[in-house]
Amino acid sequence: MIQKAIQVQNLQKCFGEFVAVKGVGFDVQQGEIFSLLGPNGAGKSTTISMLSCLLAPSGGEANVMGHSIVREAQAVKASIGIVPQDIALYGDLSARENLNFWGRMYGLRGGILAKRVDEVLEIIGLTDRQKDRLDKFSGGMKRRVNIGAALMHKPAVIIMDEPTVGIDPQSRRHILDNIKELNSQGMSVLYTTHYMEEAQELSDHIAIMDQGKVIACGTHDELVKMVGELDRINVTINVEAEKVLADWQMTEGVQKVFAEDGHLTVLAEDSNLVLPHLFESATRAKVRITSVDIQEPNLESVFLHLTGKALRD
Amino acid sequence: MNLMVVAFKDLKRVFRSPFALVMMFGAPLLIAGLLYFAFGGMMSGGGSFNLPTTRVAIANLDQPNPSEGTFKAGEMLIKFLKNEDLADMLKITMVPDEISAHSMVDQQQADVALIIPANFTQAAVAPEQTASVLLYQDPTLTIGPGIVKDLVNHFMDGFSGAKIAVKISESAIQKSDKQADPGLSEKTAKQYADYLGNSSHAEALHIVSPSGEAAQTESRSAMIGPIMAGMLVLFVFFMGANGAQSIIREQEDGTLARLFTTPASALTILGGKFVGVFIALIIQTVILLAASALIFHISWGKPLSVFLATLSLVIAATGFGVMLMSFIKSTSQTGPILGGVMTLTGMLGGLFSNGIPNIPEIMDKIALTMPQGWAMLAWKLSLAGNGAGTIILPILVLTILGILFFGIGLTLFRKRFI
Amino acid sequence: MRILYLAYKDLLQILQDWKSALFLLVMPLLFTLFFGFIFGGTLDSESDVDPRLPIGVVNRDDGNLAISLEKLLEDSEVIRPIILNDEQAAQADQMLDDGDLAAVVIIPNGYTTKLLADEPVLLDVIINQSQPAGQTVSRALETVTGRLLGAVEAAHISIENGSADSSSLQVGITEAISAWQEPALTVIIQKATGESQKNQQTNSSGGFAQASAGMMVQFSIFGLITSAMVLVLERKSRTLQRLLSSPMQKAEVIAGHILAMFLVIFAQQLILVLLGQFGFGVDYFRQPLAILLMITVLALWAASLGLLISAISRKEDQVITLSLISMFVFAAMGGAWFPLEIAGKAFATIGHLMPTAWAMDGFQNILMRGLGFESVLMPAAILFGYGLAFFGLAIWRFRFE
Repeated sequence: MIQKAIQVQNLQKCFGEFVAVKGVGFDVQQGEIFSLLGPNGAGKSTTISMLSCLLAPSGGEANVMGHSIVREAQAVKASIGIVPQDIALYGDLSARENLNFWGRMYGLRGGILAKRVDEVLEIIGLTDRQKDRLDKFSGGMKRRVNIGAALMHKPAVIIMDEPTVGIDPQSRRHILDNIKELNSQGMSVLYTTHYMEEAQELSDHIAIMDQGKVIACGTHDELVKMVGELDRINVTINVEAEKVLADWQMTEGVQKVFAEDGHLTVLAEDSNLVLPHLFESATRAKVRITSVDIQEPNLESVFLHLTGKALRD
Repeated sequence: MNLMVVAFKDLKRVFRSPFALVMMFGAPLLIAGLLYFAFGGMMSGGGSFNLPTTRVAIANLDQPNPSEGTFKAGEMLIKFLKNEDLADMLKITMVPDEISAHSMVDQQQADVALIIPANFTQAAVAPEQTASVLLYQDPTLTIGPGIVKDLVNHFMDGFSGAKIAVKISESAIQKSDKQADPGLSEKTAKQYADYLGNSSHAEALHIVSPSGEAAQTESRSAMIGPIMAGMLVLFVFFMGANGAQSIIREQEDGTLARLFTTPASALTILGGKFVGVFIALIIQTVILLAASALIFHISWGKPLSVFLATLSLVIAATGFGVMLMSFIKSTSQTGPILGGVMTLTGMLGGLFSNGIPNIPEIMDKIALTMPQGWAMLAWKLSLAGNGAGTIILPILVLTILGILFFGIGLTLFRKRFI
Repeated sequence: MRILYLAYKDLLQILQDWKSALFLLVMPLLFTLFFGFIFGGTLDSESDVDPRLPIGVVNRDDGNLAISLEKLLEDSEVIRPIILNDEQAAQADQMLDDGDLAAVVIIPNGYTTKLLADEPVLLDVIINQSQPAGQTVSRALETVTGRLLGAVEAAHISIENGSADSSSLQVGITEAISAWQEPALTVIIQKATGESQKNQQTNSSGGFAQASAGMMVQFSIFGLITSAMVLVLERKSRTLQRLLSSPMQKAEVIAGHILAMFLVIFAQQLILVLLGQFGFGVDYFRQPLAILLMITVLALWAASLGLLISAISRKEDQVITLSLISMFVFAAMGGAWFPLEIAGKAFATIGHLMPTAWAMDGFQNILMRGLGFESVLMPAAILFGYGLAFFGLAIWRFRFE
């Protein structure tokens, strides 16, 4: 019995001299939601393109539902539903017509097709707009149809490439709830995003990607533990960071300090204990602190810890 | 079956697009209709002609000798031109002198100025005298001045003929050694005038139309046939390229990549798009043939010839369009290039010069270097009522060209997408 | 200054795709060459091409009068006879259909005998009288046969008056036909350009002059496909709205865009004038100020049409459709493709309402009628009026969203 929905081993992709994906490896268990988290340009979309057989890998191997992406592309395509990052639908056709078409492309016909279209419209909440042309829809509604088109053939695995980019909060909420619902019905989900909150909310496992590599992989708790449950204190001062950087690094309880212009990020075991010392140090150096923000350990911290830069950079 | 799914999806999109509908049906019928209106305006229903009225300014400078009595050739010419039979064709204005006549033409108040010289009457009767009527015309005009010139020549030929008759009679008398008759010239002139009055020059000709019928009732349709064929070929080729362009558009929209993630092979997907183009062009051609037959009363020819001409046209147009689009990288390039290349190849293929007479022969040869030229040849042969046996050559050439173009286009698309 | 910056931005976008920009020049040039060649203009001013309309002659008679008829046909300034052998005669209908011949004349067997015996006999003429060429040939044939029959009649009269015998008939006919080579009364044709040709065919319309001006007028609209597109894409991408959030006024936005359209068309026209002058020998430079005025108002009118198209178009496809349809309709009806004179009364009347007809008038006044600067004032004024009307319509319909 196949236990892993997706198995990726040392997958690589080169575009000429440029190596976009440098030996990526991870596994997606059946029935789980797996997120690929990373900033723009990390290689997430390229990895997705290889797994959906749009790009041939330069090296490595991957299996989807037990089928090789290199040798059994047709079987892979039949197993997966793709939700591309950009809206890939026909604006001059209605929502129903779009779903109809994509259902046919996956082999659905006749009454089965019609029934499935009704079901998907229900899932994405657009039954009452099914006859309207897509170019009349809002961005969020288009994204929902974009997802719906991937669900028509009830794939075992659904791959979603940043499906919530640029949409209103209500539509985003709707999409995230849909994903959870689909997953609860047994569908495996591979989800790419650069929004930490989404990965945190949805995922059973998360792989953090940067510059073409998976730099960390695990559950949310496991990843957060990498930074040792450290608090993250974001401080803005009115002068250059060098004025206080050395002193703060030496402060008891501080694990790491990252600085950029007048913004410093301090990772500490207990922010309550560390903060007074930071203030004292600033006062001595005649530095004015203009803002303080304390965050509990999260994926942003993990990314920062591992790469030295923010997830949204 | 996925091939047909893709094809029908494309067909649905094409027939919902106002742009596509206008270019498939509206534009060709509109332009053909304009030209039908333009040149059909030459004829009304009963075969009589509706020529433009030519404005003629006449300066009669004729100064007949009193010895010629009441005979005034200049006035006779003017009376001839003012005849009510010519009233629809000529609008006469009398002016006092040559300068006024020239001025009317220069200021576009007249199309033609006719200046009758001072010695006109004398030249009409005196044996050795000659005269020339000056016809001063607007250089942008051809028909009106041509009609006036022919009418004036026709009138003056009467006098010239009479003088020739007199001259020959005098020569015959001299040779016969008979005594010269002082009243000979007047007598001969009268005899010749009687001859002119009794005969009609039109009776010297038996005119038939090229179809063999004496009536001209089919002329307007015969004229519009090649024009409509030109528009048919032009816009079918245009839509062939426009349809093939949808591949590039889908690539830019992301739906092509999405199609490639489905179990359908890339070949099936591309094939479906090409089949969609083919079917769309068949529908376009059939509707245009039917509509033009209804509106312009065009008889396209024998059913088998029409069928073969339609099929070969669509094959060629589909192949040419696919090949053309395989060289295009983005839709931003397609607008002027689509319009430009199609118009250029159509022009060279002779689509715009139907109905223009006396075209240099080399243009016919140039036309056959273009697929549109072969398509026009097939349709012209079909319009002329030829059977399949006669049009087989252009049909074969078109089909082979279409398959060749398609092969080139498919190869390039495969390299890009597969 | 903002207007200029906006216009400059538009020009950069228009000229970005150099291939498309090239088409703005290449297309009208090729069409000018094509139609100029077809309508009888040649680049070599001393051309050997016989401009007369070709007619096929099938002679089934072996008598002298058939030969005389051929001679009279040869002397015609309107038609050029081509004697067809038996094989060619069988294909005469096809040659007519293909436009290789304007007519076919068949001299029947016994023609000479019957004419000499004063019996009625007709020439068979296959001709398409629905076309101007057909009518011209028809009238020319009537003239020729009139002269032949006149010569026969003159010979009959001379025998009657001279009491000569019938053997002198042929002599008389020959003398008469020779005399017709120099008829007493003739027509001299003078075109308003100042050229004078005695008894010349009046069907030369200055091939390249008509084609060059016509294609300039037609393709001034073709360029709108790219220039009007800029504005439509700007509206679609919402950069137009972004412009309005800047200190720029709405009027400035419109001014900037229409300025760009005007400059593109004006530049195109200017280059085409130069190419027409030096490439096709069309004498634009005889009245440079008049030509400058005409291309300026033409560009203004076309730019206002472009603004109207971009005002009412929501998508790129609509711009292409409206631009192409406008081009075809205005060009065909305005006399850019063929002189309105050959199109019949109704069409010519309606056609002359078109702004393009006035543009053609202006150019033809200079190029073909040989008139002066003042002759373009009226056409330029009317064309400018049309430009204002289109501009007003565009402003009324313009949407910034």
